Parts: sequence; structure tokens; C-alpha cells
Amino acid sequence: MSAPAVIAAGETAQSMTERICAVTLREGAGRWTPLWWWAAFAFSLGMLGVGVISVAWLFYAGLGIWGIDWPVAWGLDILNYVWWIAIASGGTFISALFFLLGVEWRTALNRLAESLTLCAALCAAIFPILHLGRPWFFYWLFPYPNTMGLWAQFRSSLVWDFFAILTYVLASILFWYFGLLPDLATLRDRAGGAGARLFYGVLAMGFRGSGRQWRHYRAVYAVMAALMAPLVVSVHSIVGMDFAGSAATGWHSTQFPPFFVFGAALSGFAVVLVALLPLRVLLGLQAYVTERHVDVLGRLFLTSSLCVGYAYLMDAFSTFYGPDPAERTMFVLRVFGLYAPVYWGTIVLNILLPQLLWWRAVRMTAPLVWLIGLGVLVGMWLERFQIIVTSLARTQMPSSWGQYTPTIWEWSLLLGTIGLFLTAFLLIVRLMPVVAMAEMRAMLRGGTA
Amino acid sequence: MIVAAFATEAGMREAAAEMRRGDNGFVETYMAMEPGGEDEAAGSILPAVMLAGGVLGGVGGFLMQAYATTVSYPQNIGGRPDLSWPSYVPATFELAVLGAVVAGMAGYLVMGGMLRLYDPVDEAGCMRGAMLGSYVLVVRAADSAGARRVLARHAPVAIEEVAG
Repeated sequence: MSAPAVIAAGETAQSMTERICAVTLREGAGRWTPLWWWAAFAFSLGMLGVGVISVAWLFYAGLGIWGIDWPVAWGLDILNYVWWIAIASGGTFISALFFLLGVEWRTALNRLAESLTLCAALCAAIFPILHLGRPWFFYWLFPYPNTMGLWAQFRSSLVWDFFAILTYVLASILFWYFGLLPDLATLRDRAGGAGARLFYGVLAMGFRGSGRQWRHYRAVYAVMAALMAPLVVSVHSIVGMDFAGSAATGWHSTQFPPFFVFGAALSGFAVVLVALLPLRVLLGLQAYVTERHVDVLGRLFLTSSLCVGYAYLMDAFSTFYGPDPAERTMFVLRVFGLYAPVYWGTIVLNILLPQLLWWRAVRMTAPLVWLIGLGVLVGMWLERFQIIVTSLARTQMPSSWGQYTPTIWEWSLLLGTIGLFLTAFLLIVRLMPVVAMAEMRAMLRGGTA
Repeated sequence: MIVAAFATEAGMREAAAEMRRGDNGFVETYMAMEPGGEDEAAGSILPAVMLAGGVLGGVGGFLMQAYATTVSYPQNIGGRPDLSWPSYVPATFELAVLGAVVAGMAGYLVMGGMLRLYDPVDEAGCMRGAMLGSYVLVVRAADSAGARRVLARHAPVAIEEVAG
């Protein structure tokens, strides 16, 4: 059976430009911002408001409002950070890695995927700062000359993480914005109103599509992509080392860096699918985001699930192959103890559920793929709970064992960041071109699809 | 300055090639996607600028860590040497990437002639179509009448003359 096309038949550069500009500039019949967008935006703002209240109360009352205590000193704060930063990876994998591989299906997806990366990285960056306890001193992590004569501890993986997140957030913003420049220039020249022309004109920073601009653009974009691909691997490896560098049971493992990269790929592809499937219908993008894209993403999703499954197997194997009885006890308690539902939830949602994607009929059924993607996002959250909470709750010394129950302020903060993610993403979807028009034009060069 | 719009990329390329062959002054193409062919092959200095930015970020990051842990604030942690260089590698890599990406963006603003929100070429009506699918050629020639004659041979959709 031949693979479906990456662009619907009959599409031209002109028709594609008109369609994508119409979505952003609200031209023609769809002049008003659609009701679904306003409904989703209001819902997201509501969730974001809950998060703002949660943070305000945290600033007033301090970390005591959270459920963290000894021995579980890392709770939903670090869990949510690891979960969000993993979600952020999908855009970079699609945009940078598959650009270097020269696959053409990436072209219609990269803008949406990169936008998801930005929004998720923004949410991730909040948690380590709030977790500090005195977040107003977060700048102490910066290595700067100070009157106290103190420097950050460069031998600590937690400081490596600071550099990794800083670089990842800044580089992702620059990579996303750089890729947007030609499309912002297109919107500037097509916009009808003076306000829109000024808005997109300032953002386009004088891009006019000259031969000189394109020549340098191509060179810089390619090098940026070549840097972003190892960067995303380094970020998740360092997140893994945050744990592996500790002597805590269940953490001190050399497989953690690749394990976290696999998990990041799975979460990243899941969120791209969960966002993409409804948006391609709501924004009328079926001609550019075709069944071929859904099929390819489904295969990548399945592959990353198998990689994560391998990491789970190796985790179990190395625990029982190793000499530490505390590791074995902790693993048995993880599988059969108080937090067993979390462990089995992880296995079912991250490993068993995606196996349905072996069937093409399932991969081609959008609601099913969407549900599997949502299931994996929940599963990856449970996996982080399992890694962080069960390890800390069952340390080497049984006399130090404890329990952790998140409080309403930790749940409300999670809800708030979901609101922040959706609010930021909806604003990008509303104001920015959702498909990389300039790249699509190059793909459609010289005629129709 | 003469601004001509063409219906096809090939038409614009042929006109540009003839203008350049005839030494008709400065010739620049404008279009809404990456040009293929000669423009792409012309190369860019920016990858070298990004390499320099990366080396600066990486070396600077490494030296900063070495200075902090050996001179400014040495700490004995588990008997490890003050200059624990393997521990510096992750932050060095991250700062190298950051240096390269920032150098790329900054270099592009300079080399791409960006941040010029107004340019005399914008006065030409056909420039509004350059990022929408037209193929525009701009010629700054001493002999504008001669340049117009050459351009007219390639059947432009529109041809204008603006100051600048």
C-alpha cells in the first residue's frame, strides 16, 4: 500500500499561503475569532488564575503549605518540572532532528511542535524556582561576582541542570523566532489593518526575502538545528543525572540519562499528537497535516514507547542483578506496596496502551490516537511520581521510611501550569502562523502537490 | 532604482543573470522562499561566526568554572581535586551551544541587513508581493533606461522606478 501524501493533491504555494494567512489574520468568512478558541482561552485563563492564587499563597505562607517533608523532600514540584521538560522535547525532536534527516513530513508540523516546546519549557522553568523555598534568591544560581564571594557548585548536577534549562529555553525561543521571520514578513505584507501591519512588521524585523537574507537564513537555520538536536539530548541526560548523581535507592543508576531521553521522546510525541489532532480539524489544516503525518507520528510514538519499555525492563534487571538489598526491597515495594497502583498505571499507560498502534487502523483513527496520547501523558506523570516519591519514601533505612501526600496547593499549582501552557499555546495559535509557510512553499516549488 | 516583478522564479533568475552579466550595477532578488541554485551555493560566513560564538561560550564557561573552583572559592568535596574538569563538561557544553545560537541570531541581524523596518525599495508597489509569491528583482543601475530595456525582454509582470 502506498503511503498517503504529505500535502493534499491540488494544493499550491498560493493556496497554502492564503489558507494559513486566513487562519491567522482572520480573513474572509472566518473574520471573527472562533467560539471554540474563546471557550478554550477562558477555560485556560481560569486554570491559570488558580495557579496564580496558589503561587501567591506560597509566597505568603512558604513551602510548609506543600506536603513535602523528610524523607520525601522532592514532591510534585520536581515531579512536575521533570514532566513538563520532557513534554517540551517533542518539538525539538521533530523540528531539529528530522530537519537534519531531511524528512519532508516534518515541514507542516514543526511550527506547532516548536510552539508546544516553548510553552512546556516555560511551565517547567517555574517549578525549580518555586522549589527553592526563597525563590527571590533564584539568581544566586547565576555565576556572577558577588559581595559574598560565593559561586555556584559546579560539581553538582543540579547546577548543570540550571545551565541546561537556561540554554534550552533561550535556544528554543531563538530557534522558534528565527524560523518565524519569513512568515511574519508574509503576514506583514498581507495584513489589511495598520495595527496588524505594524505588529507583524516590527516582529519581522525588516525581513524582505532578499537573496542575501535567504542565503544567511538557510545557513543559520541549519546550524541551529544541528545544535538543537544534541542540546535536547543533553538536557534530558542532565535531568536524569539530577537523580543518578544521588545515592538514593532507585536513583543511583547509570541508565538514567538515556532512560530520561526515551521518556522525553515519548512525552513529546504524545503532546504533539494530543494538540495536533484536534487543531488540524478546528483550523482546517487537513490539506497540510494529512493522514501521512498522523501515521508517521503514531509510528514514532510506538517506537519511543518500546524504548521506554526496554528502560523499565533494564531498571528491573539491574536492580536484581545488583548487590544492594535496599534496592531490591524498594523495587518490590514499588510493584506491590502502597504505591503499586502508580507503578502499574505507568506500565499500562506507557507500555501496553501504545501497543495498539501496531495496527494501522488504530493509527488512522484520530480519537483513538488522541486517547492513547492523553493516556501516555498521564502515564508519564505517574512514572515521575514513581521515580521520585517511591524512591524517597523507601530509603535504605526502614526507620526513615515515610509517606507523601500532595496538598491542594501542589495540585492547584499543577493545574495552574496546565492553564499557563494552554493560554500561551492558544495565543500562539491565534497570533502566529501555525504552519511554516516559507518551508511549505519551497516544498511546493514549481507547481502543485 | 528599478523594481520589476516576475510571474516565475525562472523568469526572475534569467533577468537577474543577464543584468549581472551586463554589469548593470547592484542586482538583488526578493522572493517568499529559499532560492535554489546559485544564491544557495554562494555561502555564508555565519556558520563560522556561530563556531566562534560556540568556542567563546565553551572556553569562557570552562575558564569561569576553573577560576571559581580553584582560585576564587576552592572547596574540598570528598577529596576531589579543585580542578575537577570532568564536572565542568556539562555546563561548558551548554554555554557553548548558547554562545553559538546567540552569535547566529546576532550575526544574522547584521549580515542579513535586518532591523531596517523601512527601506526605499518598500516604495515600489510590487514589493508588497515579494513575500506573498511574486518574484521581484531590484536593480540600482547608472543607466536606468538601459536596465529597463534589458528587464523588459524577460516579460516582467510589472516594472517601476523608485528613488533610492
